[in-house]
Amino acid sequence: MPSSPPPAIEADSLTKRYRTGRRTPPVDALRGLSFHVEAGSVFGLLGPNGAGKSTTTKILTTLALPSSGTARVAGADVVHDAAAVRARIGYVSQGTSTDPLLTVRENLVLAARLRGVARADASARSTRLIEEFALGEHADRPTGKLSGGTRRRVDVAAALVHAPRVLFLDEPTTGLDPESRAAMWAEIRRLAGRDALTVVLTTHYLEEADRLADRVMIVDHGAKVVEGTPRELKAGLAGDGVRVELFEPDAERARRAAASVPGLRDPLVEISGPTGVLIARADDGSAALGPLIQALDAAGLAVGAASVSGPTLDDVYLHHVGHSFAGAPDTEGAAA
Amino acid sequence: MTALDHPSVRTARASWAGQTGQVFRRWIVGTWRQVWGPAMSLLQPVIWIVLFGQVYSALGELPAFGDGGYIGYLVPGVLMMTVLYSGAWAGTGYIDDIRSGVMDQLLSAPLSRSAIVTGQLLQQLVINALQSAVVLGIGALAGARYPGGPGGVLVALLAATLLAIVFCCASSAVAFMTRNQVALIGLSQLIVLPATFLSTTMMPASLLPGWVQSVALWNPMTWAVELGRAGLDGTLWDGSADAAALAAHGAALLALAALAFAWTVRSIRAYQRSL
Repeated sequence: MPSSPPPAIEADSLTKRYRTGRRTPPVDALRGLSFHVEAGSVFGLLGPNGAGKSTTTKILTTLALPSSGTARVAGADVVHDAAAVRARIGYVSQGTSTDPLLTVRENLVLAARLRGVARADASARSTRLIEEFALGEHADRPTGKLSGGTRRRVDVAAALVHAPRVLFLDEPTTGLDPESRAAMWAEIRRLAGRDALTVVLTTHYLEEADRLADRVMIVDHGAKVVEGTPRELKAGLAGDGVRVELFEPDAERARRAAASVPGLRDPLVEISGPTGVLIARADDGSAALGPLIQALDAAGLAVGAASVSGPTLDDVYLHHVGHSFAGAPDTEGAAA
Repeated sequence: MTALDHPSVRTARASWAGQTGQVFRRWIVGTWRQVWGPAMSLLQPVIWIVLFGQVYSALGELPAFGDGGYIGYLVPGVLMMTVLYSGAWAGTGYIDDIRSGVMDQLLSAPLSRSAIVTGQLLQQLVINALQSAVVLGIGALAGARYPGGPGGVLVALLAATLLAIVFCCASSAVAFMTRNQVALIGLSQLIVLPATFLSTTMMPASLLPGWVQSVALWNPMTWAVELGRAGLDGTLWDGSADAAALAAHGAALLALAALAFAWTVRSIRAYQRSL
């Protein structure tokens, strides 16, 4: 029987502690994170800002050292064999990866040459990637003069120019307009699994992870919350998600009103300024929605848009973390 | 779009020289594409020579300035001032890289940290060499003579190069430590002016107040200026200069340059540890 290939990534009990000053307590950005990523898969690392996603990526790309724990990427230890890891990975950071003064072609050749690709191969490979990523008309323009979406495509092409085994994409679509984001999703889908490439996708867009990732790990406050395929995670939640927008909401009254509706469970009210949203689950969301609106109305609460949907990753997040993804406290700065 | 075939990319870790060459190429192409900055830096020493040369020309009558007049005395000083001011800005490129994310890309590549430093340093030294040529050329047009000959010019350029390495590397190390453009520029400005005036850049030691003389004695700017001056005016060769003291200054500059280089490489590692 053929043995399965070794995991592309093996992270075991990773911790990262940042010292913030003599008089302030240290911040634990990672608290014993363990996970495996299968070779050739797309792995979604999902969590709100400050959850520990970028810290995890920095450790796996050898940019940062873990405080404790071990990790192997493409078979090499990130601490003791960092040079081997660096030769086997491509990394698209949250910022840009390319020199704004160099042209697209120059950036790709530079990325290849820095990774030891021979001159002729670097040139040929750059030309092929320019073609593949539809960058031909921009090939001889400095990347600083390109649009955000085009520049992001150059970043990904540059990360692939040496044919890495693992590609890290850290928030690749943040700041892109919807059209550019859709184009980037198409690129990632196209790359996934090709040439046994493993993609680690860090994102705080639930929809992005749902669409692109074979497996998803949700992290919060530096720890794993839950891991599985998007289908598994959503299948773990029975019934529908019900959402009702509230104007000038009173959280306690809204919860009491929701609790009075038969079949409705786990009601949660999140308030943001003068508006809020009531989120709950129901075995039959459509049947529960009418009575819920009536109950809210009877409680004197002004109701806006209402929706019923099958389980989403946001529901998975809400179920495991206790607040919705959009309502997650932004802890950026406390933990990168 | 066409699909890629299975990639057959042969990779082998690039040699240190190859890595350095790529980093250097990146910076020099960038410099060429933003040529106004370096062009302005070539203009600056011209202004200094004309300005200081005219304002202080009467000082040239004093015996302390020797036979070459004030311009002859000033040119080696302006040569070192130019590389000092230019070097103090060297770290700003790294701060841009840190901010944009390019530094993450370099650090996640199988690239020697010393190659990152050396590649950028070489670009700075190319600019410094052009600046030095302009200073010596404009100085000659303004009336300065270099009786030390080509050997003397070479000594002056070598001293300027060592001084440039010291300040380029120091600026780069501070850039990695502060990661802040304003802090780096503020600190640079705090240092370059005292470094210039607490030295023999514009005045011979004998005309400086006692305490300034004491400080100037230990100022690397003085070491470089005196070495360059002795080379250009030929006193290094005719035996009238204190060759032992100049050799000691040269050795001290070399040691400082090596220390500053090591400091920059360490500061990259410290930067990475802080991520």
